Amino acid sequence: MPDGSFSHPQQRQFNPYSDNGGTILAIAGADFTVIAGDTRQSEGYSIQTRYAPKVFRLTDRAVLAVNGFAADGNMFVKKVKQRLEWYRHAHAKDMPLRAIARLIQTMLYAQRFFPYYVYNILGGIEEDGSGAVYSFDPVGSYEREACRAAGAAQSLVQPFLDNQIYFKNQAAAPNQSHPAHLPLPDVLSIVIDSFTSATERHIEVGDGLEIYVVLAKGRSAQGLEGARGIQELSTKSDGDRVFVIRRELKKD
Amino acid sequence: MHAFAERFSTNGAAAELRRAKEILGEDDDVSDVMWGSSGGFGSLVNGVPKFAVPSVPDPTSFLRMHTDDHADPSCRIKIKHGTTTLAFRFKGGVIVAVDSRATAGSYVASGTVKKVIEINPYLLGTMAGGAADCQYWETYLGIQCRLHELRNRERISVAAASKYLSNLVYSYKGMGLSMGTMICGWDKTGPAIFYVDSDGTRLKGDLFSVGSGSTFAYGVLDQGYRWDLTDEEAQELGRRSIYAAGHRDAFSGNTINLYHVKEDGWKFIGNYDISEMHYNGPGGADGYGYDVRVQGRTSANPPPEAAAAQA
Amino acid sequence: MDVSFAITGKGYVIVAADTTAARSIVKMKTDEDKIKVLSPHLLMAYSGEPGDTVQFAEFVERNIRLYHIRNPHGLRPQSAASWIRRTLADSLRSRRPYSVNLLLGGYDTSEHAPHLYWMDYLGTMVEVPFAAHGYGAYFALGLLDRYHDPEGSLEDGLATLRRCIDEVAKRLVVAPGQYKVKVVDKDGVREIAL
Repeated sequence: MPDGSFSHPQQRQFNPYSDNGGTILAIAGADFTVIAGDTRQSEGYSIQTRYAPKVFRLTDRAVLAVNGFAADGNMFVKKVKQRLEWYRHAHAKDMPLRAIARLIQTMLYAQRFFPYYVYNILGGIEEDGSGAVYSFDPVGSYEREACRAAGAAQSLVQPFLDNQIYFKNQAAAPNQSHPAHLPLPDVLSIVIDSFTSATERHIEVGDGLEIYVVLAKGRSAQGLEGARGIQELSTKSDGDRVFVIRRELKKD
Repeated sequence: MHAFAERFSTNGAAAELRRAKEILGEDDDVSDVMWGSSGGFGSLVNGVPKFAVPSVPDPTSFLRMHTDDHADPSCRIKIKHGTTTLAFRFKGGVIVAVDSRATAGSYVASGTVKKVIEINPYLLGTMAGGAADCQYWETYLGIQCRLHELRNRERISVAAASKYLSNLVYSYKGMGLSMGTMICGWDKTGPAIFYVDSDGTRLKGDLFSVGSGSTFAYGVLDQGYRWDLTDEEAQELGRRSIYAAGHRDAFSGNTINLYHVKEDGWKFIGNYDISEMHYNGPGGADGYGYDVRVQGRTSANPPPEAAAAQA
Repeated sequence: MDVSFAITGKGYVIVAADTTAARSIVKMKTDEDKIKVLSPHLLMAYSGEPGDTVQFAEFVERNIRLYHIRNPHGLRPQSAASWIRRTLADSLRSRRPYSVNLLLGGYDTSEHAPHLYWMDYLGTMVEVPFAAHGYGAYFALGLLDRYHDPEGSLEDGLATLRRCIDEVAKRLVVAPGQYKVKVVDKDGVREIAL
């Protein structure tokens, strides 16, 4: 062809994935769970928006944080919410947390050969009233843990959490032992410090912070009453309760 | 295997229904059978779920391009690799021991992974390769084993269970599954171990180790192995072998999970920190570490008069 | 692929290397000695790129011999190891580097102690109580962590070596058939039949 359009065979790569940065984390307490994420969404060195939520309330006892490729993440959350609504219609109750975890596994694994590029962290209250965190890889392998960070600043935040939550490489004072679970105010400070520090040292983290707090049924909101910018999201006040705390992070 | 034949068939009722659904544009990962009360959403009783496949000429190379960290370390989706697992048969049953590290590139993604999958009270599966592949398909195997019990009024044999898994992963050969697993248990024939991997290999044997640290584990395991080991000796051998791998292989480590299968099913023996084993050992007295073990010993052998002069 | 091991014990170093010389998929020779006696108290097992190995080993052998002729005292193992490492490191920066991996076992007659050095073609050197090169290392190192005794007698040392060789024979697909074993101690160097 004179215009050269057929002179060479052309090959194109199909790349439907992108990385939109940001970081999420979750920490389980004895009777509460904190799930948090920053709100910056970026691609390469450009910030697409300063407010794109990565943490979502699923039920009054379950919160899901998604990180990785935003389009896949939003799609995935939408589908999980849809399945949970259908469950409510079929069974007239909310799905228990450990069942949501297994549901997320099967939904992610259904995409084994065309994965969602999404790292999920599910936090909430188990049927026995304990706080729980489940973390997933993109194709659905999962594990219950006490704390987990994922996303761009995972390698900055997780070692800090290992030290502050699991007391890794810390020796207890003589005749004392490390607590199995930290109180809520301590956990909230650790979460806020994690994100301010990650914002300082990682370019893809910043702008805003959303901290979801799930309280077990019957637990007082003690430790939350002083929090600035808190908002309750639960549908009823006599079951497990969900709150969100919104904070600003540096925007440079 | 009927479900598989049906899944790939191009004629018959199932295929007709499938074609109809394609025309009607039903959401492909939620079929209408799930509305029934037989198990609700997420239930797998209706057979293997369908898998979404990208619309490209070669879906396998598409998957490899985005997930395989050997081909391209910068690829986005990091599937966790690196492991040491072992299982061996002896007169007292089966010992299963694994490490707990998951790595993504050189990052230690987790140090608390459960690499022994409790299929049912009599069957254990180990996890090496893709974490999700092992976890998902061995859970699925658990479902099928339970159905076998309900249908046949007896427990499935280890041979049959492992064959089911082997046939299952073989039907996906070339699609990119990655598993190296040992199905361990006790049935009418006594203790049994089968090695099953995603190539479709299935081997019956007395002693296996799988994963990046397996050579180091084999070194200790083979040299200490006898059929007539006592229970305590066997558990110690399993623990020491995983320790050796955790010590020498960078992709293995953190903690050891130890299981013992006997006639009345498996028992979890314990979780042991590898650093703790290095310095103090399981009893707190004898560390496994080379430096700890040989402390104060020297290869120098000065003759008596030289030794006296030095002193 | 060559396999070599070395183990120290009470007053000695055992050095063992397989005796296969292979080219492509063919075994060209099955009784090749890949352990050089560099001095009355120094052994060197070499492996790596065919051609480079013998060239480099002979170069080292001649130079150590020259030093012995020129000087009243021979090189101690520590000094010999240092010189060999430096030669290898300089070679790495040359137009055509030697690709040779070494195990250097010696007995220092003045401090009455055995010394073992593990060295690779990049000039990495470390003094160790036991060492291995080739695929055998993957099977032997875990085993040696478990069984090696720095105060073991020669019989103990040989029993440990036999464990390594047995393990490699059992598990390595391309396991070599025979090994040559040499020992260096206060009495000098000698070959041992396993």
